[in-house]
Amino acid sequence: MLHMLIATIPVLGPLFGGLENMMKHVLNFFHSSVGLTWAWSIVATTVVVRMILVPLTIRQLHSMQSLQQHAPEMKRIQQKYKQDKQKQNEELMKFYRENKINPAASCLPMLLQIPVFIALYYTLKHFETNFAVGKHADLSFLHFIPSISDGTTAHWGGYVLLVVYVASQMASGLFMAPTAQKSQRVIFMVMPLVFVFVIAKFPAGLVLYWVTTNLWTVGQGLITRRLVQRTPAPATEKRSSRTPAKEDESTAGNGASPEPTAPTPSPAATGKPRQVRRKKSSGRRR
Amino acid sequence: MSVVLRVPRYAGIGLVWAWRLTFGALFPTSCKYEPSCSEYALQAVRRHGLMKGAALAGWRLLRCNPWSHGGHDPV
Repeated sequence: MLHMLIATIPVLGPLFGGLENMMKHVLNFFHSSVGLTWAWSIVATTVVVRMILVPLTIRQLHSMQSLQQHAPEMKRIQQKYKQDKQKQNEELMKFYRENKINPAASCLPMLLQIPVFIALYYTLKHFETNFAVGKHADLSFLHFIPSISDGTTAHWGGYVLLVVYVASQMASGLFMAPTAQKSQRVIFMVMPLVFVFVIAKFPAGLVLYWVTTNLWTVGQGLITRRLVQRTPAPATEKRSSRTPAKEDESTAGNGASPEPTAPTPSPAATGKPRQVRRKKSSGRRR
Repeated sequence: MSVVLRVPRYAGIGLVWAWRLTFGALFPTSCKYEPSCSEYALQAVRRHGLMKGAALAGWRLLRCNPWSHGGHDPV
């Protein structure tokens, strides 16, 4: 299915080829220079990537918190300089600087993770040709996965890995959004059960990557949760006293279900704040 | 609205969560907008259905690039 999708976009072929090549070198480094087995090389690559991302994660966590706290003020700035976009941007940037919000973060570059994932997929799929390993190369993992380049369901060990995957995915889902609504928690529980059928056809090494990254997320979530408990956020005070109306926007996954449908905004108009759904005072938050 | 008519938007919401739980988990909360892009997508799909919601979310994603300025931007 993936191949067909990729074949439809001609630019992607060479791009993925390059990414596959890069992934190949990284895995090769861990295998040949560090001396890990191929399976552990995948784990090591994942862990290193997540370790590199930790400072970024923390910074972004902070900037997200302050974005939520300052939503009403940003709205005020945007409305005040509605006519003058230039001035509005200047004021917003100033506001970001004052409140240490990182405006460099953005979602579009994050979509680049998908090609990276696909690179790993292809690297594992073409494993034998990529690394010129013989039939007797050790591609096993912890004695229960005979080969990371085989389909996950090719051996009973793969099913064990899939169970671990489902569990870790559910756990990481719960850690990602502790304030999620009940319906969203249901999605957390159901999504992995749907995914598992897609993933079962992937090479076992890819599932291994996924399990590793999930476990990292859980560990990171446990640690941040503890840290957050130890240091009560001073922002909570500020929010409740100064900005009473912001509850609505900030609540993670706060559905818009009970509200009347707002007049449909044209995409171009969404940059401007609208006032329709502000005062919905539900004390639901935390 | 009947459950059948809501199926497409459930699919859309599921897709957003698929993103959040997989790749999104690698870079949590790195959006310059409030609400974040994925939250925006969820709200847009819930309110306007899959087609229009997806279009709105796509437009928002394009706006969420290193050259834009972020800020408060509800659906």
